[in-house]
Order: sequence, then C-alpha cells, then structure tokens
Amino acid sequence: MNNDNRPLTGLRVLDFTHVLAGPFATRILGDMGADVVKINSAQRAVGTQDPQHPYYLMWNRNKRALALNLATDEGKAVAHELCLQADIVIDNFSAGVLDRWGIGYQAIHKQNPRAIYVQMSGMGDGGPWSKFVTYAPTIHALAGLTHTTGVSGREDIGIGFSYNDHQAGLHGAVAVLAALEQRHRTGIGHRVDISQFEVGVNFLGPSLLDYFANGSKARPAGNDLPYDLAAPHGCYPCKDDRPNPDNIPGLGERWIAIACMSDAQWVALKTLMSNPQWAASEELNDARGRAAHKALLEQNLSRWTQNQDAYDLMARCQAAGVPAGVVQDGADLLEHDPQLADVKFARRMEDEHPDLGPTWIDALPIHFSKTPCDQYERVRAIGEDNAAVLQSWLGMPAKEIATKEKDGVLQ
Amino acid sequence: MPLSGLRVIDLTDERGIYGAKLLADLGADVVRPEPPEGDPLRQRGPLLAADKTAQTSLWHAFFASNRRFFSLDLNAEEGQKQLNQLLQHAHIVLTCDGAFAVEEANLADHLEQRAELIVIDVSSFGTAGPWKNYIAPDLVAGALGGAAATTGDVDTPPLKGFGELNFMVSGVYVAIAALAALAKVRKDGTGQRAGISVHECIASCLEHVLMFYWYAETMQRPEGKVLPRRGALHWSDAYDVVPAQNGSVMLTPAPDFDTQLMWLIEEGVQEDLIDPMYQEPENLRLRVERSMQIMRAWAAGKDARELFLQAQERHCPYGWVLPLEAVAENPQLAARKWYRELTINGQAITAPGVAYHFSDTEGEVELPLRPHAATASNAAAILSDLGWSAS
Repeated sequence: MNNDNRPLTGLRVLDFTHVLAGPFATRILGDMGADVVKINSAQRAVGTQDPQHPYYLMWNRNKRALALNLATDEGKAVAHELCLQADIVIDNFSAGVLDRWGIGYQAIHKQNPRAIYVQMSGMGDGGPWSKFVTYAPTIHALAGLTHTTGVSGREDIGIGFSYNDHQAGLHGAVAVLAALEQRHRTGIGHRVDISQFEVGVNFLGPSLLDYFANGSKARPAGNDLPYDLAAPHGCYPCKDDRPNPDNIPGLGERWIAIACMSDAQWVALKTLMSNPQWAASEELNDARGRAAHKALLEQNLSRWTQNQDAYDLMARCQAAGVPAGVVQDGADLLEHDPQLADVKFARRMEDEHPDLGPTWIDALPIHFSKTPCDQYERVRAIGEDNAAVLQSWLGMPAKEIATKEKDGVLQ
Repeated sequence: MPLSGLRVIDLTDERGIYGAKLLADLGADVVRPEPPEGDPLRQRGPLLAADKTAQTSLWHAFFASNRRFFSLDLNAEEGQKQLNQLLQHAHIVLTCDGAFAVEEANLADHLEQRAELIVIDVSSFGTAGPWKNYIAPDLVAGALGGAAATTGDVDTPPLKGFGELNFMVSGVYVAIAALAALAKVRKDGTGQRAGISVHECIASCLEHVLMFYWYAETMQRPEGKVLPRRGALHWSDAYDVVPAQNGSVMLTPAPDFDTQLMWLIEEGVQEDLIDPMYQEPENLRLRVERSMQIMRAWAAGKDARELFLQAQERHCPYGWVLPLEAVAENPQLAARKWYRELTINGQAITAPGVAYHFSDTEGEVELPLRPHAATASNAAAILSDLGWSAS
C-alpha cells in the first residue's frame, strides 16, 4: 500500500473480534487504512468464523490474518508481544477474557501505555448480567427494540436483521477514534467498555425520557411516527412485478412508502391522485384530521397504488414533492438502484479469492475529498499473513515463525 | 474527556444530529445555531407534559444533548458575522443539505482559508444521480435503503424500525467520518470535506441482505437471492421470538446445539433430536428446523423470565422480550449506573446514559452532562463565554 493516504494509515489494530459487531468495527477501520490484524485459529474457524463462510466474507475484508492458538502458553506470549506493539486492541468477548489470557488493559498498560483497549461485550464489564451471552436478537429483545418495532398487539416482530450488531460496530469505531484523539492530547491510551446492550437501549432515548418524565409507555406504532402527526405515513401495495413460482410468502410483492410530512405534501399527493372525492373532506386538510381518519386514507391509498408500477409511482410522487420510496430488497439495491450504481457502492473484489473466485464489496459510505478510501483487499485464509505480520510488527525471524507454525502455535 | 477542546458546529437535521450528539456526549464543545424562532426540531415529540408554559421537546433533549444553543438571525448583518466567527474557530462543521445556516455558511471559502478544517456533509442520496433531490424522511429512507423490506411479517406491510433507527445509522457514520478526518489532521494537518449519503449508510447495515444476493449459490436457500420479511425469524432460522407464559422469549439452539440438546433431554422433551442423523454436518439445517419446532412447543409452557434466566445460566443466548418500562427498570443498567439525572428546562429527569465507559488506570473518565436549555441563549453572550471570538 505505497503512498496510502487514507486517514488511518499507520494505525495498528489487533483484532480479537468475531461474528458481526466487532468485525464490522474493524472492517471500517481497515477500510480507512488501518493495519488490522485479525486473530483467528484453525480450532475456532467453524460456522461464521470460517473464512470461507459468506458471513465471514462480508465483515473481514481489508484485514491481515494471523493464526494464533491461544490455548497454548506460547500463543499467549505471541499475543502479549503483539499487544505491546498495538495502537488498538479490540475484542467482543464477554468481559474478562483478555485478562484471563494475561493481555488485558491493566497488564499491557504498564508496558505500552499508549495502547487503547476497546471491549465490546454484550452486557458490559460489571453488573449482574455481565456474563450473559448475547447475539443481536438477544439484545433486540432485552433492549425494547423487538417490543416496539411491530404493530399493535404483536411483540414477536422486531427488526428483521441484526441492526444492533451493525450499530455496536459503528459505535465501536467511534470509540476507537475518540480514544485516539484523547491519546493525541494526553499521550495515554484509555480503555473503553462498550455494552452492546446499552448501545441498543440508547436507540429508545426519547421514549425513555418520555417514560421517566411523563410516565408514558411506548408501544409499537407500525409505520406511524410514535409521537408526531404525519399522515399518510405508511407502506402501500403496488403491482407485483416479480416471479414467485414457489409462492414463498412476501417474495413477489411490491410496496411503496409514502410519507406526507406537511399539509402541502398532502395537497400535492391529492393533486397527483386527481383530487378524488374521498380526499376532498375538509377534515383531511390537517395532519390531525388525517391521522384521525387513518383507516380511510390507508384503504383508499392502497386502492390507488395497488395496480401501479412502484418505481414509476415513486418518480411521479417525488416530482410532485411528495416523499415516496419503493420498498427495495437486496436484488433491487444491487440491480436497479441508480444511486448506489453511481457511486459503485456494490462491486466485485478485484483481488480475487484463490479458492472461492469472485467475492463482493459494499463500499465504505464515507466519501473523503482528499483521502478517498477506495482500496479493498480480499478476506484472507487462516494464518495467511503469519509471516508478514510477525515480521512487520515484531521483527520475528522467518525461522522462528516456521518453528511456531510447526509447533501448532500459529494455527 | 475524550474530545475535550474539540470545537464543533452542528448544522444538522434529523439525518445527522445523532452524530453531533455522539461527539457532544464524548466531551466536544458542540455549538448548535438555530433561527430566532427556534430549531424546528424543538417541535418533535414526545414533549414534556409538565411544562405548561412552553413546549419542551424530549426528542430534542435527547438528540441535542450537551450542546450550546446559539440563536442566529441570518437576515441581519450581525447574525452573518456571528456565524462566520463561529466557523472561523471550529475544528469540525457538520451539515445536512438544506438545514439551517448551511447555505449561508460558505463552507467552501472556509475550507480554502483553513487547510485543517473538517466539514462533513450529509445528504439523503448523495450529490449526483437521478434521485439526488428526492425527499426522504426516515420511513422513505428505510424503504429505499433496504431496511423495511426485511422488517415486518407476512401479514403486515413492510415496517420501519421504531423511532429514528435509519437516521441513527447515518448519524454514527457522521461521527466516524469527523473523527477519522480529525485523525488525519492530527497526523499531517490535512483537513477535508467528506460526503455521507443516508441511502448508502442504510444499505451498508443490512446484515444478511446483500450476502443472500451475492452468495446465493453457497447459501442454497429455497428463497433464492432474497429473503422476504418474516417476523423475528432470523435468516439462519435459528433465532425466533416465541410466546411463553407471561411474555415472549427470543430463543435459539445456537451456538452450541449440544448444550441445548442436553437441556431438552434433562426435561425429557428431546423427541427425535437424539437421532444420530442430526449430528451429521450436512443435516445442520434439518437439526435447526427440528430443534426450533420442539423448542417452540416447550417454551410455550414456561414462564418467560424464568426461561430466559435459566438459559443464560447455561450460556444459551436467549433474550426476554421486554417492554420499554421494563428496560427502564433493568437491573443491569441500574448496576452500571447507566441512567443519569438530566436537567431539562430546569426539571431533573432520569435520562439515558451514553454508550461508552472510558477509563484509565485511575478510574472511569466522567463524561459531560450539560443541562438542556429549552431555548437558545443570546448569541453575543455565548460567543464571549466560549472564547470563540476573533479577538
């Protein structure tokens, strides 16, 4: 990476993370130029930790791969040496794992006071639930996100993807960068304890304030705004335009989201609908009246949208000043979306995988004017960069590396 | 504090305000200018019910936490001058296209004059392309960005996440862009501008959605490249929310299927799961399906809270579906002293904490907790107070 001008070039990140939240944090750092060394081992490389699993391929680009058997004392010793050279040590184990390996913040800080530790455990370090095991669906349930995202009377819907894992990863990246600024000022690397649970609860901030201040208990609002009046504000069916030969529920459907955030937008929508009789009532002139007649709006809007082409309708709504958007799925994003295509958001990895052939990239959605982050390197196999990492970080001789590989330390 | 001494101007709307909040909550001095009639986001609900004399937005208190509010009359020469003064002394400026004072800020000029300045620009769809002028509140942004298609159930429409979840994704990217650019300034003095499209941000955080499309051949799913919305059932089929007694539980046989099996055996409800065929790697999907079938029936007779706690004792990552009021009283958050007392318009209210606990060998670093003002204060006084004046 000669002449690499990216913002984080030169930053050494020792990455003990796994699954999604932690790897997403370090993927972002790697995308911005950091030298991320991902620790994995042959023993742990199963399921989503297998470097050939699609899930692993998604979150582990732009990292170098070091195999380390941390069940051995020698493996722990190598990890210790790496920590002494690291700017950032990051993990998303339950609290205390790195301490048990002798490479926790307190142990390393004495010898490398500039090392920043970011620990992204599920529940945080401390408290009666600190050892609880969590994945994103666990956090969604406990944080109130499952209960609130849905429709009235249902608490079994929630967010349909691991939102909180991504958010914990993004917050992890913020933590690293804030700690870097702190180190710049103080010379000291700090430890950051991030509870993925607290990240998740935080998303209900206004509702929690409402509960504590007013005693109000937030409940699912469907596609309505929970506290403000906006109507119509929902998803409406359009003409199905995709094959669904196996009749998998939901697969062939087309929907459009329409959100009138002002009375003027409602007037524009009425005009677009050719001012139908049902919409003429004065009661519908303001948001309060429209919200009170939600069923009438939903029924008639659905009737209006249901035989229309979703993309064409979106274009006409937007041209008239009405906020509207097709409910796009993965195929739409990757096949039809002109905005994503314009920035080459989705692309084939130029650095082809030797075993898997083509792999894919969703590009970093930050466009720096002077230091573009546009370099992508494929996911590496277990231990593929053993020699390069140990030489560049520790100056370890090739012979010693070979011995450690043979002895099972670097596996 | 991590960001002490960092001066930030917050010219964002809903799409970027969470990023400004993250910087402010980490100790940056974040000034949020607003028009004389008040920030339009002060209208957002929920409102403080006890406040009978004025409208106090709890939404604003959360998203505009730890700010200094600055009233600016951009129709007056003095207002223009004050904005210019603020910008001259800022390290970072955060903007959303169309938000208050962004156009008047002439940021291109400031960037030309100050090589170390950082400007982060948020737009809904970027600066080019046929949708660049599309209007996208959170619902529409989530629809086009791919989040709504995978949220909801077969008997509901596609759904948006509760509250502002889409804009909270773009918000965090704002903070990342600002701080990464700052790291570059610290290294070699190079400031710059960075663009963030809400649309790309949402599309970058969809877990399995792009993976299903790109790696459909490997995944070998009957649905093919797209998995439609299906309630809480995870793409792996191994996590789902099911009804139990006195509530619902998110249960899963993953990641250690044998631990779960042992539990079912202990309770005598394992049925045919002990058949060796389920141990074969090629039958993993079959094992997941059968395990979930048995566990759904098993959980239905259990108390939700007890089941959750028993599972966690066995290191099984179950979750208990908690309503907001239970989250507010959660023992883990209480033990970690996560909630804090925030003064909003003179009234002390329990408020959410921040997502970070910074510490060094001497203990935890205290993060800011500035009282939230219901209105912007006098601009001249703030300038003087900030020490941001040109003199």
